[in-house]
Amino acid sequence: MYIYNTILVYTSQNRGALCYIQKPVDSPAILTESLTRRFGDFTAVQDVNLSVAPGQFYGFLGPNGAGKSTTIKMLTGLMAPTAGSMQILGLDLATHLAEVKSQIGVVPEGMALFGRLTGSEYLNFAGRMYGLDRDTAAQRAAELLDFMELAAQPKTLVTDYSHGMQKKLAMAAAVIHGPKVLFLDEPFEGVDAIASGTLKAMLQRMIANGVTIFLTSHVLEIVERLCTHVGIINKGRLVAQGSLDELRSGVPAGSAGQPGEKMTLEQYFLQTVGGSRDSAQELAWLG
Amino acid sequence: MAGLRPQPGVQLRAIAQLRWRLVVNSLRSVRGQLNLVSRVLGGSLVLGMGVMGGAGLFFVGLWATAHDPRWLALPFWIVFLFWQLFPVLASAFTQSIDADALLRFPMSYPTYFLVRVIYGTLDIPTALGLFWLSGLFLGISFADVRLAPWALLTIGLFAVFNILLGRMIFSWIEHWLSRRRSREVLGLLFLSVMVGFQVFGSLIGRHAKNLDPQKLQVLARFFPVAQALPPGLAASSLTHATQGSNSVAILSFALLAAFAAGVGGVLHLRMRSQYRGENPAGGEKRQTAAEKSAVRSGWKLPLFSGPVSAVFEKELRYLSRSGPMLFNLFIPMIVIFVLWGGRRGFLGQQTAYAFPMGAAYCLLVMANLGYNCFGGDGGGIQFFLFSPVSFRRILFAKNLAHLSIMATQVFLLWLGVRIIYAPPTLPVVALTLTWYLFAAPINFAAGDLLSIYSPKRIDYATFGRQRAPAATILISLTVELAVIGTGVLIAIQAIHYANLWIASLVLLGLSIGSIGGYFFLLSRIDGIAMSRREVLATELCRA
Repeated sequence: MYIYNTILVYTSQNRGALCYIQKPVDSPAILTESLTRRFGDFTAVQDVNLSVAPGQFYGFLGPNGAGKSTTIKMLTGLMAPTAGSMQILGLDLATHLAEVKSQIGVVPEGMALFGRLTGSEYLNFAGRMYGLDRDTAAQRAAELLDFMELAAQPKTLVTDYSHGMQKKLAMAAAVIHGPKVLFLDEPFEGVDAIASGTLKAMLQRMIANGVTIFLTSHVLEIVERLCTHVGIINKGRLVAQGSLDELRSGVPAGSAGQPGEKMTLEQYFLQTVGGSRDSAQELAWLG
Repeated sequence: MAGLRPQPGVQLRAIAQLRWRLVVNSLRSVRGQLNLVSRVLGGSLVLGMGVMGGAGLFFVGLWATAHDPRWLALPFWIVFLFWQLFPVLASAFTQSIDADALLRFPMSYPTYFLVRVIYGTLDIPTALGLFWLSGLFLGISFADVRLAPWALLTIGLFAVFNILLGRMIFSWIEHWLSRRRSREVLGLLFLSVMVGFQVFGSLIGRHAKNLDPQKLQVLARFFPVAQALPPGLAASSLTHATQGSNSVAILSFALLAAFAAGVGGVLHLRMRSQYRGENPAGGEKRQTAAEKSAVRSGWKLPLFSGPVSAVFEKELRYLSRSGPMLFNLFIPMIVIFVLWGGRRGFLGQQTAYAFPMGAAYCLLVMANLGYNCFGGDGGGIQFFLFSPVSFRRILFAKNLAHLSIMATQVFLLWLGVRIIYAPPTLPVVALTLTWYLFAAPINFAAGDLLSIYSPKRIDYATFGRQRAPAATILISLTVELAVIGTGVLIAIQAIHYANLWIASLVLLGLSIGSIGGYFFLLSRIDGIAMSRREVLATELCRA
């Protein structure tokens, strides 16, 4: 038996007004079934079955070109799947795209910024696009700019921000409406230690408040430090999924780990995707 | 282990091969192939200009050497001004070349200097300058074969001076343009100069009759200064050589060489500092004031929802920070002045229709914005794609912003016509406004579709080299011609019946259809945008 609760969502059918719909509370925050995406003859993502429970900090790992960004693009509505289904917070993306969009926050690879606005203008704009009223959007924008240490340069255009500042601003825009699920595509790439610390502090605060975070990264240390659960994709297929502890003890199906022996995430990852190679026999001319 | 010693020749060949591969690889895309075709066509045009100019200077050199060598200064000044001014103005259009890419390789300073100078000279002004100087050399040599060696030396040195000066100026421009704000300022300056030429050209044409020939004598005072500058020195060197004054010829040549060495020295200073790792970009000036300002609430348009107001505000903020787009706003006024200055223009006797004609021009100018309305958003398109706001409302808000700009333009135009000519009559105003009611929705509908089907990233801060895709240009021109043609045909019929109100009534009737069609398209636009979302994201996020 499902226990229903009520959430406030924003739909395209009701011409911008907020309305209430019901969803089952015990459904996974993110659920995909046989998710597949092909580009001509090339299959970027094949039969991926993800399951992320509400409140999880989920790290989605994979080598370059494994299908991480394609998967996150499909989950956030930036790309249509070739086959399979996706549910976010129990809502099917194919039929409830606008409702899902109002509940999620996204920091895509390209950050989705409007370069010729100032930081505060951009956050104001983002808040209002998610249905916040003018005063609330302005208030939250000010708080976020302050938290992200971006308030000192109120007249600087986003295009003149440093890369780290742009990442922080993109993150602020993704959370201004208080999303239930946050999708982050390589959020720490090119970010210095100070900015990285600010971002991590905010993410941990969100997790503590029950938000589900889905993060792609190829920096294993970050995932190991932040995430509670991990999925590994390789050549378009999900090759491992589970809690960090399960994976490191070699429990999950399909892995070749030794039961009972704790591995680092890097060891597990390399073992799973087959990334180790004997470099001693190659490039012998290297000094 | 001993370090490798890369040979400059090997490095130069590697760079040449790299550039070749870039050209070959660009042909993999249709856009690259079209670029090649346009380059071949452009190259043919340059070749034609080079040959024709070279032939012209051949005859100038031939005649001047044989009859009056003092005239040799003229071709040198023409070549000099074109060679130096054209690339400086053209560079306002483009982003600078990243010189840092070369610095990570173990390249000696002389090789670096050579590479920067050689690859910087592979441009149209240099090619044309060399063509023209070759023609001049041949002309002088044909007139007096004994002068050929000295002419070769002098003209060769003059060419080297121009190449070095061009690179020196460009290295400063490059330094300057690497800052966004400077790029905008220089771009605006360039457009102002171009418009200034048109306006003053018209004014001079208008007042030419009253020009006092005595005033032209003032120009003669500048002749000694001109003679002491490189084009004058090159001409002086040849003039005195033809007259047998070898010492003066050699002195002029030496002074020209000193100019070239001086310019080369200044260029060396810039190159050296870049070679040592100075970041040519210099970085944007950072604000040091840590003053925090309260975040102001966004705009709220009466009758419209929050997201529509937000997109409307965002559009106008974008445009207010874009030099080229602001320039568009003032185009109608400039057109009025240009037409006013040229009394002999086709509008001279038809001022009654200045208002509708200017209004039609406003619509044409706005096509640049409306037919690629996501172009300036760049990566921001992703935000629109994952936000819960429908594309119907996003596009409606963008159209609304563009409509408000058009309304401002038309008002300014009306004001200009009223001040300069005479207040447009009520039937003419009604004709213009009803035509807008008919034409604007058609333009918005076509523009919205093309913005989704044929998007291209553009930077509102820079000028030029940002043409829309060929398909967009073709379709937008067709639509513009169709709506303008329809308006003209209806107006001609109404004039035939001596009653312009007929045209207004017909256009009002047609506008009902065009407005209906626009809203019908908007109701379908979400499905179209979703089916094109990947192309939109890919094209607009492209660096």
